[in-house]
Amino acid sequence: MISRRTTLKAGAGLAAAATLGAPAVLHAQTRVLKITTWGGKWGEVMKGTVLPAFEKEFKCTVQADQAFPFVPKLQASPKNDPIYDVLHTNSNEQWNSLSEGLVMAKITAKEVPNVADVYPWAASDKIVGVAIFTSAIGLGFRTDKGLAKPTSWKDLAAPALAGLRGGYIIPVNSLGQCHLMMLGKVYGKGLTDLDAAYKALEALKPIKLVDFTGQMEKMLLSGEVSMGVIHDSGVFRYDGQNQPVDFAAPSEGVLALEQVLNVTPGSKVKDLAFGYIDYMLRPDVQKMLAEAVWYSPANKKVKLDAKYDARLLTTEAKVATLIQPDWKWYNARKEDIDARVTRILKG
Amino acid sequence: MLAVDDVTLDIAAGEFFSLLGPSGCGKTTSLRMIAGFELPDSGRVHVGGRDITDVAVHKRDMGMVFQSYALFPHRTVAENVAFGLRMREVPRADIERRVKAALAQVALTGLEERKPGQLSGGQQQRVALARALVVEPPVLLCDEPLGALDRKLRQQMQFELKELQKRLGVTLVFVTHDQEEALAMSDRIAVMNKGRVEQVGAPTEIYERPRTRFVADFIGEINILEEQGTARALRPEKIRFVATAGARIAGTVETANFLGGSTLYRVRAADGRTLLARETHAGERSPRAPGDAVGLAWHDHDTVALEG
Amino acid sequence: MSAPANRRPFDAGRAAYLALNGTLLAFLLVPIVVVLIFALNPTPYISFPPVGVSLRWFEKFFASADFMNALWLSLWVAACVLVLSITIGGACALALARGNLPGRAFLTAFFMSPLMLPAILTGLALFQSYLLAGIGRPTWGLILAHTLVAVPYVLRTTLAVLHNFDRRIEEAAAVLGASPARVFFEITLPLIRPGVFAGGVFAFIVSFDQFPVSLFLVVPKGETLPVVLFNYMKFDLDGAIAAASMVSILLALSVVLVLERLIGLKAYVKL
Repeated sequence: MISRRTTLKAGAGLAAAATLGAPAVLHAQTRVLKITTWGGKWGEVMKGTVLPAFEKEFKCTVQADQAFPFVPKLQASPKNDPIYDVLHTNSNEQWNSLSEGLVMAKITAKEVPNVADVYPWAASDKIVGVAIFTSAIGLGFRTDKGLAKPTSWKDLAAPALAGLRGGYIIPVNSLGQCHLMMLGKVYGKGLTDLDAAYKALEALKPIKLVDFTGQMEKMLLSGEVSMGVIHDSGVFRYDGQNQPVDFAAPSEGVLALEQVLNVTPGSKVKDLAFGYIDYMLRPDVQKMLAEAVWYSPANKKVKLDAKYDARLLTTEAKVATLIQPDWKWYNARKEDIDARVTRILKG
Repeated sequence: MLAVDDVTLDIAAGEFFSLLGPSGCGKTTSLRMIAGFELPDSGRVHVGGRDITDVAVHKRDMGMVFQSYALFPHRTVAENVAFGLRMREVPRADIERRVKAALAQVALTGLEERKPGQLSGGQQQRVALARALVVEPPVLLCDEPLGALDRKLRQQMQFELKELQKRLGVTLVFVTHDQEEALAMSDRIAVMNKGRVEQVGAPTEIYERPRTRFVADFIGEINILEEQGTARALRPEKIRFVATAGARIAGTVETANFLGGSTLYRVRAADGRTLLARETHAGERSPRAPGDAVGLAWHDHDTVALEG
Repeated sequence: MSAPANRRPFDAGRAAYLALNGTLLAFLLVPIVVVLIFALNPTPYISFPPVGVSLRWFEKFFASADFMNALWLSLWVAACVLVLSITIGGACALALARGNLPGRAFLTAFFMSPLMLPAILTGLALFQSYLLAGIGRPTWGLILAHTLVAVPYVLRTTLAVLHNFDRRIEEAAAVLGASPARVFFEITLPLIRPGVFAGGVFAFIVSFDQFPVSLFLVVPKGETLPVVLFNYMKFDLDGAIAAASMVSILLALSVVLVLERLIGLKAYVKL
């Protein structure tokens, strides 16, 4: 009995030593970069190709969180040990995060060399951090309903589209918020002309409202709506699938839906975080992702295949049609706007 | 609050002993003290000369039958009966044999694999009895075991239980509020009231010679006569009907309750008192009717002086 | 020739009762039917009438490593939660019902309190606590969080069984020579088991379907099925969601049926 117990004890000690040793070794060699990223096709390319290549080149491990909500999780984690090193969101959330000190104000070519090659919109004063892609928000429409291709934002108000036009629940969707500002520009004095925007919004009723863009895509595909506010990538992704839908960029301009990367000030691996952003701005990485999900790349040096080049914003001239909303201005008024539009759309 | 106050009972081995009283009189509490579920604040419980006051319930080696039967609903009849034997680590083969015998004893052979929920009330009662008796306990405690049965079945079980008890020679402590049941079955009865024992005695003694007003009143019908400051009890059947002229009391019949072989009359005396008188008769009808003038007489030696 | 059957006279109350039940049943079942139609519909959006029947969304669901990892994680977490919550909830219920504890009402309310709190706050609070304690977000942390909100269900069903429990059954066993421990294992435990396991079924489903508590507590590559579905919906709103929902419903249903078979939830309802 005694001898058996002793052996068992010795065995347990050995096992403990082995498990204790392993993580220490790992820790010394591999650094961990914690990022957020999108799901869907984007996520597939990231997890399948981009991140493994990055990990190999930078000898690190990337922990990519695809589970919303990113900003509340970041908010709830300690500032000196944030849950993310790199925060990937749309532009307006970056402004919110900046006001709480969760992200850096600007990413420049000093930290991320490839920023030197981006179009002005990607590093403009409307951007916190740096944008790596953008979509263009315009009008999606059915091609089988006898509709002329819309040329103006005003086309959405055509009486024939009553009940067949689609918009968003503005308080929860940034496309809806963009659209509201655009209404101010088209029907009033500019993006910040809320009174004109409210009036125009009222005139769009009856309108079908959804929470997020995926639902708008489905409504267009199923014919539930004939025209709706949507980003170009949300329509182009059905390219080659024989769906009777198309995207139109109104003459007043398209709104930018930027994919923004930023670094958390408390990150323990800042150099790696900047390296990751730089990597994401590399022309080859930009090209791969742009063609996978129909995003317009931020890097001027990217050369897309003809099919993509024809439809995405890849020249100075095309980029000039992009309108970037002032999210700082909007977020400061968000509560009032939410209350007002909820009243308008409820009636 | 005291449930039981200063109760002293001396129960002989092999005796059928009843604790009788109205609900709340302390009879069940007394029984639960014997079983060990309740601990007396003072006083001791002895069995066969051994002090078991501090012995845990499961080591007291008693049998108990509950009013609700308390069968194990998730076990079969056979498993219920075998339970006590298993706890005593009786060899398996013996258990089988004894369970079989116990079930035969209560005429339940063939129902071994049923669950209690599939049995009638009377059958459940027999299982409870078999379960308690199979371990051959020196003492069997019964807490109103027949209370949930209908009248006919109850009477039948009274006979069976009594016979079983005599055959096995087990000491049986029986709690009941039914005085007929107690009188019919017991060797001795303790009549309890408000946590105290009013009287202990054989059924005839309790019936014929009640010591207190409570006992007299609780057991059967009784007339209580107040004479010169003392109360005397007189059973209705000790009263004779006589001619009004020579009667102790003259009065009129108020009601006549036909009971089969006898009739119980309520007679209102001239002075306003009412008396119960029982008359046995062979006829099919009561010989007297309400409104009849009657005279009542009795012997002094048929009355009993009551305490308190 | 048999006598003519007696016709039951038209009973307005009974008709109303049947109508109400029918409506409630429809209210509960119609969404499931819609999900099923969506799941079997080959188009990536709901179309009425359905254009055909296809299993492509089920194939997509089962072929996706993300979905499958999430499904197994959810099942594993739910199984752990089931075991933990019946142990903890059952023990708590016994202590509360039998223990003669001071402040019983307060303790009962305390154990029930996770039900009162919005689950998203429970998740957020635990997320912050875990990060502050420096333990990160391990799977056992997620299991504990789910257990926290699942225990009240076990507690409630077990307390209900204990409330109707005839303690004379235990006394009968004690008189027959069973020690307190044997009374517990041979009598008490088997008799409260239906209540404990009924709570366990709730606990399993609460965990398997748990979204708000998980939201903050899942880690990259360690997301539970509801979280994966939620995030999937933001990018690809197609029939795979509906297929996943059908699989979830069927899994929950089979757990209930298996437990019913194994333990017989109905066996001692009368108790």
